[in-house]
Amino acid sequence: MNCKELVYLLGDYLEGTMEEPLRQEFSLHLEMCEPCMNFLRTYDTTRILCRQIRCEEIPEEVRTRLKAFVMEKVREHNRDIEKYVEKAAIERREQVSTLLRAYAANRLSPMMAVLFQTHNDRCETCGAFLRSIDGGKSLVEMPKVPPDIEEHIAEFLEALPPGEAPTLS
Amino acid sequence: MPTERVADDNVLLEGLRHGSAEAAETLFDRFHGRIYSLAMSILKNESDAEEAVQDVFLTVVRKAHTFKGNSALYSWMYRICVNTCLMRLRGKRRSETVAIEDFMPVFTEDGMHTSLVDDWSKEVERKALEKELGQVIQKFTETLSEKYRVVFVLSDVEGLSNEETAQILGLTVPAVKSRLHRARLYLRERLTGYLREGKMEKQ
Ligand SMILES: [Zn+2]
Repeated sequence: MNCKELVYLLGDYLEGTMEEPLRQEFSLHLEMCEPCMNFLRTYDTTRILCRQIRCEEIPEEVRTRLKAFVMEKVREHNRDIEKYVEKAAIERREQVSTLLRAYAANRLSPMMAVLFQTHNDRCETCGAFLRSIDGGKSLVEMPKVPPDIEEHIAEFLEALPPGEAPTLS
Repeated sequence: MPTERVADDNVLLEGLRHGSAEAAETLFDRFHGRIYSLAMSILKNESDAEEAVQDVFLTVVRKAHTFKGNSALYSWMYRICVNTCLMRLRGKRRSETVAIEDFMPVFTEDGMHTSLVDDWSKEVERKALEKELGQVIQKFTETLSEKYRVVFVLSDVEGLSNEETAQILGLTVPAVKSRLHRARLYLRERLTGYLREGKMEKQ
């Protein structure tokens, strides 16, 4: 091993990750070569000195300001999510009621009518509710949709193939 | 990494996904010091570091639901912090960097040192020098290009292992080792120059 090779391997040596035969060669050179010994010492000292430029302390007023900022943003973020959830719920209710009105007025598209009928034949809860608004009742008479029915129908709507218009125009 | 902490982090993430303010507070208390320190080491400026820390926590809160947990939470946050800091550095006029090549050790054809090597390691142990050297090192690290500086900051200043640094930066471990080594060689050389020509000589 020459000086150049030794310098190249300094990191591994100081980390203690060097394989044994290589390490012996390294130490052997080090014992006989003063420049390399000095190089190693100053390299290692550089490494140790650098630890102390770490910023250990965050100024108290910066910490306070940062914490207030982060907590405020979290509240904002949560409000945004709540709004989003609310908006999604309203949209869903509208979609369901559009579908039901179209059903009651016999204005479902043919494909939709088949699909919807299939669901209602299979699903007892929805079937019973649907029979209660059967026969072209007016919108005014439409009873409030119970939450479990709404959920079922929303689920049904979500599973539709794209591009299927649910009602006749 | 202890499994206990990983479990802890998962509880924290779960809380964040559900918008728990308590989880957000714990997250802040647990990580703000380390993140601020890292941002300071890269950006070297208090107000820039403060904004970077803001960005990091905002990102974590907003993206908690997409974090897969393949890596540790702190490693994810360090990665966000490094990216944020690098973006900030690019947006600014860069401070002058030097050609690191000019400060690499020189060897003869058969690989021997071309000149005597000064051993100043004992001299810097004096307490009086510590603060001064800190500032000098700070200055020299600022002249390192990003490529070396970020690796150096994570490994030698923040004290992460080479594996952790590699994971955070998306580098291989050998790439981290080689950049780190060159950064140290550079700083050693600059310190040698400083100590040889600076105050030490005159005393
Ligand atoms: Zn040698």
